[in-house]
Amino acid sequence: MSFQSLISGSECTVPANPLSQVLKHTESDRSIQQDRFAGPSSSRLHHLPGTSSSAATGQDIALARQFFEASHGGPAFVPSAIPELSNSQMKDAWIVEQQQHMRVLESTKSQSQWAAEFDGNAQTSLPQQPQSMHSDPQQMPSYMPVGMYGDYMPRNNLFAMGGPPLMQTHTPLIADLGKGKGKSREADFEAAFAQIAASFPSQETTASRIVEVDDGVTDIGDGLKSTTLQDHTTEPDFRRVWDHLQNSDAPPPAEDLEKWATDFQQLMDAQRQELNYGNAMQEAWESGVGDFTDSLGDPPMRFDNDGLPILQEYIFETNNKYLDPSNSTSSPLSDAKALLEQNGALSEASLLLEAAIQKGDLGDGGYEAWILLGETKNMDEHEEAGMRALSEGVKRAEAAGALGAGMMSLAISYTNESMDRACHVMLLRWLRVRFPDFPVSEETVKSMSTHSSWDTHTKITDLFLGVARQQHSEGIVDSDVQIGLGVLYYTHGEYVLAKDCFESALSQRPGDYLLWNRLGSSLSNGNKPEEALGAYREALQIRPTYTRAIYNVGVACLNIGAHKEAAEHFLSALALQEQTSGETSEQLWFTLRRALITMDRADLADHAKRELKGNLDYFRREGFDF
Amino acid sequence: MADDLKVAGFKSSELISSLGAVFESFSPTEKTSQIKKTNGVFEIVVKKPQGPSPAVQEAIWTIDLKKAGKVTKGKAPTGTKADVTITMDDETFVDLASGKLNGQKAFMSGKLKTKGNIMLATKLDGVLKGAKAKL
Repeated sequence: MSFQSLISGSECTVPANPLSQVLKHTESDRSIQQDRFAGPSSSRLHHLPGTSSSAATGQDIALARQFFEASHGGPAFVPSAIPELSNSQMKDAWIVEQQQHMRVLESTKSQSQWAAEFDGNAQTSLPQQPQSMHSDPQQMPSYMPVGMYGDYMPRNNLFAMGGPPLMQTHTPLIADLGKGKGKSREADFEAAFAQIAASFPSQETTASRIVEVDDGVTDIGDGLKSTTLQDHTTEPDFRRVWDHLQNSDAPPPAEDLEKWATDFQQLMDAQRQELNYGNAMQEAWESGVGDFTDSLGDPPMRFDNDGLPILQEYIFETNNKYLDPSNSTSSPLSDAKALLEQNGALSEASLLLEAAIQKGDLGDGGYEAWILLGETKNMDEHEEAGMRALSEGVKRAEAAGALGAGMMSLAISYTNESMDRACHVMLLRWLRVRFPDFPVSEETVKSMSTHSSWDTHTKITDLFLGVARQQHSEGIVDSDVQIGLGVLYYTHGEYVLAKDCFESALSQRPGDYLLWNRLGSSLSNGNKPEEALGAYREALQIRPTYTRAIYNVGVACLNIGAHKEAAEHFLSALALQEQTSGETSEQLWFTLRRALITMDRADLADHAKRELKGNLDYFRREGFDF
Repeated sequence: MADDLKVAGFKSSELISSLGAVFESFSPTEKTSQIKKTNGVFEIVVKKPQGPSPAVQEAIWTIDLKKAGKVTKGKAPTGTKADVTITMDDETFVDLASGKLNGQKAFMSGKLKTKGNIMLATKLDGVLKGAKAKL
């Protein structure tokens, strides 16, 4: 027999038509029905604080509706809700109820406006909240997550691809809620009803009771379960309260509304923690776990606990003529400094410095020579050696309590080698040493060593910006802070901003060739190669032996498309290096090869290897003018 | 030249083949240092909508910077597994390689999708950067 006949069968067939009994049941004693199957009716809305225990079925409908519309797991969800209605026979009854719920909902909508009116003086957020509480109760838990999700989107901009997955994990959560309510409904209905009946004398007490429950809410599932415990009023009761409220002088107490508001907030925050797809994504984002410790074949770059790479020991040049006792001067360190002042060859200077270190002439605090060596090596386009030396220098400087000496250079060295996170770590250290009063949260410090470089970048940039703004308001232009900021923007690809920072630093230090080089690089990578060349020329005028600047000029030429000129520049840099110490920079060779390949001269590229001695002449013969 | 890497109709293929050539030209020390720095196998899936018809053409390359240090066409060869799969449009790839777009921005704006080790995706910028001026 069909359900139709069951439903619309004549009354007199009552005994034979169990369904009609049920229908009668639903029509008359709706409230119990509601509670049994659909949870608290929407009539209880006005009692509700943040959690919309609400019409659970109403909620279910809305969820179902939303899910169907969003076509995410709708089918998955609704079937799980319906079984909770304990009885497939009740399906139709349920449908009937929904209509009633809708009607009740209408009335509560008007009530919510009333609430809003009363709420004139409350916090601006409140009118929205009670309103949203009341008018969209059933949609709230579901929309909130979505809304929050929406919030996350602009706020974090992380979850571009997280959309669909969010909904899918969302579904089980809501399904759980559905189940939870079902359980609580069935198990605790009697007790709860008794409770409510007892607690129902005044609207205020009810409201505050509900508030108490919600204060302990940390889990939306629990929250909804517990609110269902409280909210079993019946339709007649609703009428009573409605009338009571309408007639009473007291507006709903502002504190209660506020409480609802805060509980709402709390619950939403709790929800935020629960709805953890967003968080999971965030964690995946931030968890710098990655594969840093995987080692297959050659060991990858290892990083220590602070996020800095573990480098090998500095390897001194074995054939260092300055180590020869007969050749030794009193202080190779001061010789080196003098040489640098006079624009001498960088490789000479590095040899002197190495000798100084090996002889124990370390300069200030035992670190000065190391740092100078590192910087010289970097200028001479020997990045790895420079990094090691700087690393050593910074370690000693920190031990000696020097104010961040060498840290900036080391950070730059890291970023040149694409170790962005290490760069951020170093910059943070510099900042804390230089500006110990500037507040840096513990969380930021911890996250530096573990989170991804994208995350640490944001954090450290914010810190630097904070310092810069503070300084700006005091009228100071601290070139170091500007350099730090410039470096950060540069690593992030924001070359225009980096250029601005370096320019302002240059306004303070016009003779700093390093800064000119950095400005040039910002322009070059920002696709302004001609202007970059101008900046590099400035650097080279101040320091003609600045190998790195020559390298960069070559790179800029490559970007313009002047491959031959680029190759010539690289070759001249290599020649310079070869003349002085014989140790040529791998990076130079490598980029030379690229230039040659781009010129379609693979044959030349094969010759562009460091191991092949005497090949610079070969290039001269091939028509390269350097 | 790595002509076998080229796929017609994709602007990215030019870039990838020159990247492949660069890798081939690495000296052993450079290769090991690059592998050390990156330590990952990237699978790059480049999509390109095909003219008026909405059908999307797809090209896959694998950049192995973990073991072999080379670029191959197609999915990771047997024996290596891609640590991260990065999917993007032809245009996006070109912008990434030229530096107009950086990896993070691309990711946040949804132009770049990753599957697998997201951390590695942050290194893609460095891998693609051709001649980059040094600070």
